[in-house]
This record gives sequence, C-alpha cells and structure tokens, in this order.
Amino acid sequence: MRYLALLALISVCAWAGEPEKEKPVVNPAPTAQDWANLAKLPDWSGVWNPKITDQDAQARTNMPPWNAKAAAFVAHQLAEEKAGRPPPLFVNCLPEAMPSWMLVTHNAMEILFTPGRVTMLGESDGNRLRRIYTDGRPHPADPDPTFHGHSIGHWEGDALVVDTVGVVPQAYIAISEAAGVPNNGDMHIKERIYLASKDVLNVELEIIAPKVLSKPWKTTRIYFRQRARKFDIVEGVCLEGYFKEGADKDGNAIYIPVQHAVGGNRVPPE
Amino acid sequence: MNRTVAGISVVLGLSMGIYPASAHHSTTMFDHSKVVSITGTVKEVHWTNPHVAIFVYGTVAGGGEATMWLMEMTSPGNLIRSGGWTRTAVRPGDKVTVDFSPLRDGKKGGALKKITLVDTGKSYTADIRAQERANLEEEPPAKPEQ
Repeated sequence: MRYLALLALISVCAWAGEPEKEKPVVNPAPTAQDWANLAKLPDWSGVWNPKITDQDAQARTNMPPWNAKAAAFVAHQLAEEKAGRPPPLFVNCLPEAMPSWMLVTHNAMEILFTPGRVTMLGESDGNRLRRIYTDGRPHPADPDPTFHGHSIGHWEGDALVVDTVGVVPQAYIAISEAAGVPNNGDMHIKERIYLASKDVLNVELEIIAPKVLSKPWKTTRIYFRQRARKFDIVEGVCLEGYFKEGADKDGNAIYIPVQHAVGGNRVPPE
Repeated sequence: MNRTVAGISVVLGLSMGIYPASAHHSTTMFDHSKVVSITGTVKEVHWTNPHVAIFVYGTVAGGGEATMWLMEMTSPGNLIRSGGWTRTAVRPGDKVTVDFSPLRDGKKGGALKKITLVDTGKSYTADIRAQERANLEEEPPAKPEQ
C-alpha cells in the first residue's frame, strides 16, 4: 500500500513537471463552400508557354542592378557565351529553382487551384513544382531552404500576390541559361500574377537579394495560353538525358549511360 | 553511334574532363550564323528530356567523306508543339537531309534546324521561339496580342 502511494505521488509529480505540449497545426478539410469559391477565381486553366524572345530581349535591356562583384561575374559569363563557350549554369539537372524558373524557362507550365493553395507544375524538369499557400498562413519563422522556397499568396482582385522566402542560396538569379549569379542567401521574391489579356499571363517579379543586388530588381515575364491538346504537359524527367534506351545481355530493356560535354550536349563524334 | 564509337567517346570524354551533364543550357557553342546541310541515314534517335538527339551517318553537301554527326535539339514536348514532331517521326534507317548550325569547335555536332525525310519529303523544324502566340491551333487573331 505504501508502495502504491509512493508510485501515485511520483506520477503526479512527473505529470506536473511535464511541459505543455504544443498544439499541432492541422490543415482543415475543405468545405463545399471552399470548393465553390474556386469558381470565383479567374480562369487560368490551359497550358502556359513562355515568351522566350522577351526573355532574350530583357537579358539585353533590363539588367538586374548587380553589385560590383556580381556585375563583373556576369560580364565574364556574357563574354564567354559570346565567344561560343556558354557557362553551364543549369546542366546538372538540379531544378532551375526560384526565381530562375520564372525568369528564363523555355518550357510550359500549368497552374492548379485547390482550396487554400495554388500549384504551379512545369514541364521538362522532373522537380519543377511550386506550392503557393493561399490559406492565410504566414511564412515559418525559419524555413528550411528549398529550391522553390516557401510561398504564400493572396488574391487582390484578379491578381495573385505571392511572397517567397527560404530559397537555397545556390539558386541562381539568371538572365539567360548562360548568365546569372547565385543569390547567396536572404533572397525575398514578390510576385503579382494576372491575366494581361484573355490568353496572356503576366508575372511581375520584384527580387530582393541583398548579397548580389544593389537594390530590388523588377521584371515582368509573359506566358501564352494554349488549349490545343498537343500542348498538354508531358512528363519531362531531366535525368533521362543521361541515358539512351538499350538492352542488357539477357535482353532486358535498360538505360545505358551517355556522356555529355561540359556545355550540356552529348559528346559529338570527333 | 555503334558500340565502338560510344566506347571511344567515353574514353575521350574522360581524358578531356568531360562529365555527365545535361539539362538547360545556352546554344552558342553552335555557330548560328551558319547553316550546313548533310544527307545520310539516321542511326539513332534519343527521344529524351531535356534534349532530343539524332545521330546521322552522312555526307556534307558539296562532298567529303561520310561520317557520323550528332544533332541536338529541344525537348520532346517542345518539338511536338513547335515542330510537328512525334516520337516516331524520324526513325533509325530513315534517309534524311539535315540543315544544322555546326559546333564552333569543329567536332561533328550541330543544332538541328530542319530535318527532311528523303522518301516522303516530310520535314520537321526545332525552333522553340516559333510558338509565341496564344491558342496556336486556332486562327491567328486579327490584331496580335503583345
């Protein structure tokens, strides 16, 4: 009996000393009204392909306000590219990441609306995916850095306003596939996305990157809507390019490694 | 590319500091101010992301010895849309004429501009900047947007 009383006393003490458990944050199940509200949003369905000639033009006419060190780096890259030795920024199949995906992509994307979220899915890069939370949550206090960062958004009329932080410092701020500088950390990206006309999507970006830019840089990127079925997004696994189709000695279908040159092309015959 | 050529490429690659890499890159290693034409036979088609490639054994217009050439282009998705390609549009064994911009370093590679099947006359292009209008499959608008 004495033992039982002692045990009860220990249990009470242990319980009293236990720190209060943090209440887990739970994403609520969407309601019928949440689904119905999606119908009130602008129609961004279809496939959006980028205006690459405008990307080309802005690489000449809208240079980011690089700090001195970054400016010298980019000047060297541009000279190398002009000389036929383009610097290989994106040849390792890692994601182009934010903000370069929006800035210099040559590939199409689609945009999905679900309750509390906008999702952007891109083609030809197996990991090209942005989740933009529109459920009112804030950024985490100390987000784990990721290629596409932590994005929260809200609607201002028919424009989606997006705020992104937590991008890996290695992610380039690129003006082309051959010129750009890693953001080096503390980057903050603001976007305003809206239909400029019935089938043209504008993405206004403001990039704040104190490690490489002397002041915030603003640019607008343009996407065209396609509804023809042949534009439907197809699977695009970047690593596929390392291989060609073949067979092993037993006749099993396998992938055979293919060598590539520094610039990203397969090694040509001598 | 036969097994021997592949083997040589790998050995050369390792000795020249070449490493496996792919993905999104500039194309100024090709001299876009030049267009060279070859006629020959398709040996391999790599219908893969992020860049499709075709190996053609052929002769440059104007003469010379037949040799293997590597043609690089954009992704399968972009070829389907901007150039009218399908996965089987060009197959090993097809007789073709290829117009391309050659590598600046003199190696047997190029950026494909147009490939024409000799037997049918059907041709395909590879210009990703040729899809810069909304609703491309519909009639062009009277007044182009943007």
